[in-house]
Parts: sequence; structure tokens; C-alpha cells
Amino acid sequence: MSTRNQMAGHDVTSAEGRSSSEANRSGGPERWLVVVAMFVALAALPWLTTETRLISLAITTGINVIALYGLAILFGQAGILSVGHAALMGIGAYAAAILARDFGLGFWAALPICAFLSAATAGLLGFPALRVSGHHFVILTFAFGQLLTIVLTNGGEFTGRATGLDIGPIETTFGLDFNSLAGMYLLTLAFVAISMAAAHFIDISAYGRTLRSIRENPQLAASVGIDVRFHKIGVFMVSGLFAGVSGVVLAYYFRHISPSLFGAFPSVYLAMMVMLGGSRLLFGPLGGAIIVSFLPEILDLDPVEARIAYGAILVGVILILPGGVIAGIGIILRKLVAMARRIRGLRFASIESERNAEGG
Amino acid sequence: MPLLEIRGLKKRFGGVVALDGVDVDIDDGDILGIIGPNGSGKTTLFNVVAGVHKPTAGRVVWRGRDITGLATHQIARAGIARTFQQAMAFTGLSVGENVRIAFEHGAGDHQSGGSRWKSYEEILDFLELSEVAPELAGTLPFGHLRRLGIAIALAIKPHLLLLDEPAAGLNDGETTELAGIIQRLPGEGIGVCVVDHDMNLIAALCKRLAVLDFGTKIADGPADAVLRDPKVLEVYLGDAA
Repeated sequence: MSTRNQMAGHDVTSAEGRSSSEANRSGGPERWLVVVAMFVALAALPWLTTETRLISLAITTGINVIALYGLAILFGQAGILSVGHAALMGIGAYAAAILARDFGLGFWAALPICAFLSAATAGLLGFPALRVSGHHFVILTFAFGQLLTIVLTNGGEFTGRATGLDIGPIETTFGLDFNSLAGMYLLTLAFVAISMAAAHFIDISAYGRTLRSIRENPQLAASVGIDVRFHKIGVFMVSGLFAGVSGVVLAYYFRHISPSLFGAFPSVYLAMMVMLGGSRLLFGPLGGAIIVSFLPEILDLDPVEARIAYGAILVGVILILPGGVIAGIGIILRKLVAMARRIRGLRFASIESERNAEGG
Repeated sequence: MPLLEIRGLKKRFGGVVALDGVDVDIDDGDILGIIGPNGSGKTTLFNVVAGVHKPTAGRVVWRGRDITGLATHQIARAGIARTFQQAMAFTGLSVGENVRIAFEHGAGDHQSGGSRWKSYEEILDFLELSEVAPELAGTLPFGHLRRLGIAIALAIKPHLLLLDEPAAGLNDGETTELAGIIQRLPGEGIGVCVVDHDMNLIAALCKRLAVLDFGTKIADGPADAVLRDPKVLEVYLGDAA
């Protein structure tokens, strides 16, 4: 019986060792079913509740999630943290508003242009990453966010100063009206699904491996032929694409944008969501955004209390669950499964020994 | 034509002259050993060839092409691989992923008898790392980590491999095993240049030796002749006496 126990214990540890490295990079078919089922369930939300407040909160959460998958690639894969990402959303949002005002471009026409502009700005933001790293770089991205707020506030008529800019509704496309709350929700959800899929395919691709190698050891990465400087700028641009799309959707949802939407606090919230949820996991950014957005709602906290709660939770997560809450849940589930297996193993073993006793 | 020609290579760090006009040739299918006391410029020589440092003067010519001052990743893509003194790996990634990343970059050069390894798994096999492929590189014992360093370097499909103290930290058994692996490389069309203090390893591997002292080459030739050279004996034994 004791040998059986040891064997069960050994099985568990080796399974954990594997799942922490290569095994979790490729999802099996069951995993895809879970993802599809989740999105179907989420898509049903507008028909399950009449509370507009809940749906509008879900929309703003979803808009953040789009940007968060980009941030997760930057932080989780390449290991570069940015606390200026709301500013990149701001580039996308303001570009959309200005393109609509000055050139009459609608949502779909503006989307690729704004995403590109945001990516280009992100590339510029990435340049200092070639010279400074770690905390110094985080401070630089923070300064970039502040700088953009100042520029937008002092941009005169062009950026609408502190009041900001108005933007029209999304044009009806293929007979679909996105301006109802449900329509906007489904549009956002579609972009969330695309972002998640894009992040997943980057994660399992050679490009994802390249980014991880730079995160792990830039010197060794260069010695195997990886252009580290090129990829550091590149991953910023990739991440900026997500932020740009997120900003355009945000602008068309709020129909009015102002500098304060893209300042220091929104940027810090984005970084916090990705750290809370776990930047290296498929469900991490989604989970982090839901926790941060819905927590004050669920616990009925006012904004000041919410900030205190966020701070406390973030410190707790960094100390106790460095992989994020979603990774933590994964670890707990795995431990429970292991425990269940061990208990079953014990039961089988005791039945067997009873049988042996009977036989003997 | 030699594989790699190093001509009059100089490197100064501030007031310190680490390399003072070194000439070395590395030939195809050769295992060249570079020895010398601490601070004689061995690692600096590797770092300059591999593009980590730009030389103050001199030239590095690779298969007839001047590669002096190219960036590290460009040198790797040209087909020169190197390992590090401090057994380096992507510690947070699996052993398999470590080798796969290198395989997906690097020279990608299958011409002129390039490597026979058609996949990264074959390289894992060659270095007997297949069994630990799913493990995180950071959890490997040191001897395995050394082999992983060589696997990563070979995965870029190089024509020349620079080994910086590959036996450092290994016990005698592991060193012998390592020497066996290195000896097979010229047969795979890969030239090798080894820097080490471990005279057992050097003696087992190298038919030709070059000796550095204070950034200059004081001897170069067949191993047994070099090891009997009075200048070399003075550098090695003079200090000890």
C-alpha cells in the first residue's frame, strides 16, 4: 500500500512539472470546446439580463480586454512592462475621432489606420527599451502616458483641449446596427475573441518562442541569431495594434473622449489587470479585467475604497501568486484533482488489501 | 582558405589592452585549443569574434568575408556559434524549447556539408537530452546545463563552434563524456575552437594549440610542440614556481 501511495504521488509531481512548461502551450480539443462554450455563454448575456448597467460595464471591461491581450504579449511573453498603455489606446481613440471629423471616415475605415498609428507610436515608445530596462523603463512608459495627456489637453481645437472630442455612431454594416447596447456588446465580444485568438497563436508560434527567449536571456538570444533590438521594438508595435483597436472601439462606444480617459490611472489599471489575471495564460487578461472591473460592483465599494482594495489585492497577488489569480486557481484545481486521485488510490488499495486478506 | 582568419586583432578597454594584435587561423574540420593564464585575453578574443565587443583594430574574416564589427545576431546567422563560460540557458523555458528556439534562428545554412540534423529533436538526441526535454532548463543539474549550452549552439547549424571553458565545473567523468561529444563535431562539418584551463580536456581534444599571454600570441602549432615550448612553460610554470 505504501508503494502505491508513492507512485501516485510521483505521478502527480511529474504531471505538474510538465504542465508548467510545454504541455500547456497547446490546447487539446476539449480546451477549444471550453473556450467556444464560454464565448457562446457570454454572447447570451444581453438576453439574460435587462440591467443596462451590467451590460455597459461588460462592454468597458471587454474594451480593456482587447488592449490587455496586447499588453500580455508585451509583458508575459517579452517580459517588458508598460504602464503607459492607456496612452496608446488614446492614440487610437483620438485618431478615430479626428479622422471622422476631418476626413469623414467611419468606424471600419478608421480601424486599420488607427491601429497602425497606435502601433507606430508604440514603436517610438519602445526605443528607450533598447537602452534602459526594468524599473527605469516602467517609469519612462508612465511619463509617456502623462506626456500624452498634456499634449491632448493643450492641443487646441485639434484635440478639443480638456473637453475632448465627440464622435458619431458606428455606421450600419451589412444591415447590422451596433449602436444598441446589445449590438455594441456583441461587437466588443467579437474583438475580444479575435484578440484572445491572436494572443494564443502568437504564444504557440515561433514568434512567441522568440519573444520568450528575449525575456529569459537577451544575451543568449542574440548569440543564436535573434535580433533583440528589432524584436523589442516589434513587440511594442504588435502590442500597440491591440491598444489602437481597443481605443477606436472605446471612442465609438463612449461617443465622447477626453484626455483623462487615457492618463496615469487607466494605464496603471491596465497593468494591474494583466498582473492580477496572469499575463502568461490564455484566460489571464480576461480574468484580471473581470476581477478589477466587477469587484467594486460586487463589494459595493466607492472609488476611493476600490483603489485601496486594488492596491491590497495587487500586493497580495504579487507576494502569494506571482503567476496571477488565474494561475493560482489552476494550481488549486490541480491540487484538488491530485488529492482526489490520491484518495481514490487509497480506496482501491484498501479494497485490494481487503481482498488479499480474504483470499489469504 | 581557412574557415576563420583573425588578423592583428586589438581590443582596449579604457587603459587596459586585452588583445594586442592577435593573428589566428581556424581551419575547416579542426579542433583548435586556445590556452593561456587568467586575463590573457581568451574570452575577449571570443567576444570580439562573436560580435559582443567591437575591436579597436584588426580584422575578422569568415570564409572570405569581412565580418569585423558585425552585431552578435549577424555573426550567429553567418554560421559562428558560441557557448558561454557561465553555462547559459533560457532557464524559464523547457529544455526542448531552448533548443527549438535556436533551431528556428541562426544560420539556417544547409550548404557545403552543413549539419546533418534535420530537426531540433535530433540535436537533443545527439546530446542525450531527449529524456529531459519537457523539464524547465533552470531545474537541470549543472552537467546537463553544460550539454544544453552546446545543444543550443549546435542548433543554429554553425560551421564553427567557439567553446568558452566547456569543462568548467564538470567532474572528470562528465569532462570525458563532453570530450567525446566535441571530438565528433569535425566529422559533422563543424570547426571547433576551445578555450579552457583544463589541460586534460585540451590535451584530449586538440592537435593544434595557440597560447595567449597578456593579449599577444606567444605560440601556435602542433600541441606537443607548443607544450614543450620554453616560452609557454615559463608562462605556465614560471608563475607557479
